[in-house]
Amino acid sequence: MTISRRDLLKGAVAAGAAVAIPATAEARHEIEPLPDAVGMLFDSTLCVGCRACQSACKVANKLPEDKVEANGGVYDAPNDLNSTTKNVIKAFPAGDTQHYMKQQCMHCVDPSCVSVCMLGALHKEGEGKRDFKGEKKGTGIVLWDKWTCVGCRYCQIGCAFNVPKFEWFEAFPAIVKCELCRHRRDEQKSGPLAVANPACCEVCPREAVVFGYRKDLLAEAKRRVAADPQRYNPHVYGEHDGGGTQVLYLAAAGVQFHDLGLPDLPERSQAEFSESVSHAPYLYGVTPIALYAAMAFVINRNKKKEEAAEHGEEGKR
Amino acid sequence: MSGHDHPQAIGGKMLDPLMKILLAVFGVSALVMAYRFVTGIGSVSNMTDGFTWGIWEPINVVVFTGIGAGAYGVGLLCYLLNKGQYHGLVRPAVLLGAIAYTLGGSSIMIALGRYWNAVTLPIVPWWNLSSALLEVAVCVMMYVMVLWIEVLPAIFDGAAQSKSPRWSAIGKRWGARMAKAMPYIIALAILLPTMHQSSLGGLYLIAGPKLHPLWHTALLPTLFLVSCLSMGYGAVVVLVNILRLNWNAKQDQALFASMSKVNAGFLLLYVVLRLGDIVLHGKLRFLGADFATFLFVVEMALFIAPAVMFVMPGVQRNRGKLFGAALLAILAGAVYRADTYMTMYRPAGWTADGKSIAAGWDYFPSVGETIVTVGMAAVGMAIFVFISRLFPVVVVDQGKKSTIGRGEVRAASGH
Ligand code: SF4
Ligand code: SF4
Repeated sequence: MTISRRDLLKGAVAAGAAVAIPATAEARHEIEPLPDAVGMLFDSTLCVGCRACQSACKVANKLPEDKVEANGGVYDAPNDLNSTTKNVIKAFPAGDTQHYMKQQCMHCVDPSCVSVCMLGALHKEGEGKRDFKGEKKGTGIVLWDKWTCVGCRYCQIGCAFNVPKFEWFEAFPAIVKCELCRHRRDEQKSGPLAVANPACCEVCPREAVVFGYRKDLLAEAKRRVAADPQRYNPHVYGEHDGGGTQVLYLAAAGVQFHDLGLPDLPERSQAEFSESVSHAPYLYGVTPIALYAAMAFVINRNKKKEEAAEHGEEGKR
Repeated sequence: MSGHDHPQAIGGKMLDPLMKILLAVFGVSALVMAYRFVTGIGSVSNMTDGFTWGIWEPINVVVFTGIGAGAYGVGLLCYLLNKGQYHGLVRPAVLLGAIAYTLGGSSIMIALGRYWNAVTLPIVPWWNLSSALLEVAVCVMMYVMVLWIEVLPAIFDGAAQSKSPRWSAIGKRWGARMAKAMPYIIALAILLPTMHQSSLGGLYLIAGPKLHPLWHTALLPTLFLVSCLSMGYGAVVVLVNILRLNWNAKQDQALFASMSKVNAGFLLLYVVLRLGDIVLHGKLRFLGADFATFLFVVEMALFIAPAVMFVMPGVQRNRGKLFGAALLAILAGAVYRADTYMTMYRPAGWTADGKSIAAGWDYFPSVGETIVTVGMAAVGMAIFVFISRLFPVVVVDQGKKSTIGRGEVRAASGH
């Protein structure tokens, strides 16, 4: 009636087969930036914090004001991204100056939100699971689909930048985030404007944020750094951070990106890590099927043995 | 008659005071849920964009299903390792599992913002196979069905013992058919929890930068799988003890002792994996005089204490002590799971030396949120009582007469 060591061993082997030690993971491929991916470059040394982009975003995306009452007045003054704000300017004091930072979806090269979304509601344009008409492939823009989002909010857990926002006080809520003003694209135009046309980039008086192909923006960022190394932190945030993003950032010399609210991320994307670890034991679906067959066989045999024993002696214990 | 003891329906008055309390609690929580569907999740909960899952996922889904994993654990011993002596535990464990998982599943529906789109989940071509949550959702839905199918033999058995010839015939016929199909269903009932319990841990792999380094590891799936077994075995011991106190259920102390030795193995396996992972990955440096270390030590103590107790002959012989150890085993897994999903999660993440980075969000569960969780647990107990009174689930000790039981013990009759 006691459980022998051999039994435990057998059990352990079965459990081990199911959840092979993740170290043996065959890695899911690293995702490279798409050649024609579009994105933005934000240069925090140029931003003066006028918030023109913040207002333009609300107009372009038909978002209501985020009303804040203060000093007897009412202001549209969001203090963070939220369900009525897809783009926000924040001030970070550093030394005796302010540094302004623009926050919105980073349109990651290998986005966590896309990796976790059950039915592909968040997806790279043209690469969703259901049939999307009118979506171009290869832009890398991360779009949200209201027909397949179940509102699980796993994207909020996954996104290291805390970008997707949820409408907490709606009976029929949506996920709200920047979609790079893809709806403002103009097919008549050539180049990146045929793909998308972010209102924030259009209105910025200082060209602190510009829109274009990611490869061009990356080259431009590196050019700026090389031309004026005194002015810039040499690191272009988003080139590799978190597996790379399509929105790139420049900061002033001596200013760390985490002091501007951007997380320190490894170069390996979290999606690649998580998918490699969790897919490894499945071996493309072979393990569950093999395990099922083996278990059905053993259980069946055990049942027969049990029945035979019951007919033989009374009270097998 | 074989060597197995036969379960029987408990019978007795259905709407006893306990039942009334359970249903009243559930009633209050149902009102909160109704309000949520009209006004949004934010109006009943303290969930925010930073702490987006509140307690509903961590407790209602992740902890409840851990408790429900007793069905999985007993199934492993009884069917896969062919330990026939555990048969008497199968029905209560399976019923507990079926209820816990059903509640977990229903809680998801309440927590989903856009629940109506969940009808598209069965559309296989739309599945994003990279999503751990999809794996959990599909697997749990299937497993809930499998668990209720596993409850069916008890129902057919009850029908077969009925006085009405028609019910009796139906029960006998279908009971026999079920018996043939059972091995294939049981194999599924072991495979599915193996998959989704590890995926429940896998869910937080993606949260890498946001989860404290002492909790974030590639071993998350393995640790969740092991902890569901330790919770599940603990839950079966606790459940049968409660059934014995209330309904004079048969409790085989020696059987519990040997099952608890298995549990001690799982608890220690967890400790070895967790510590090994931390040592091997150079994470010892995160241990210091802070809250994270405190929680970590608490978790380790909670896993080690019941493991040690389970192997002590004094505890094995003593009902009260073994019950206490089993409670600790449940608590250990529950605390580990809640810490991973909630306590050690920070939207803005952690610094390189393990300090949490401030963000604009704080979280403590609201009254409404808590009532929903408590109400779910209450209705679970009510369903368990309801089914065990009507159908043969619990093995009653024939040796003694029930004294504490509500209503005398009798065999099922179908009136
Ligand atoms: S920033 Fe967040 S929401 Fe935007 S693509 Fe990356 S993971 Fe998705
Ligand atoms: S909330 Fe919607 S968009 Fe976000 S992961 Fe869930 S289904 Fe996808």
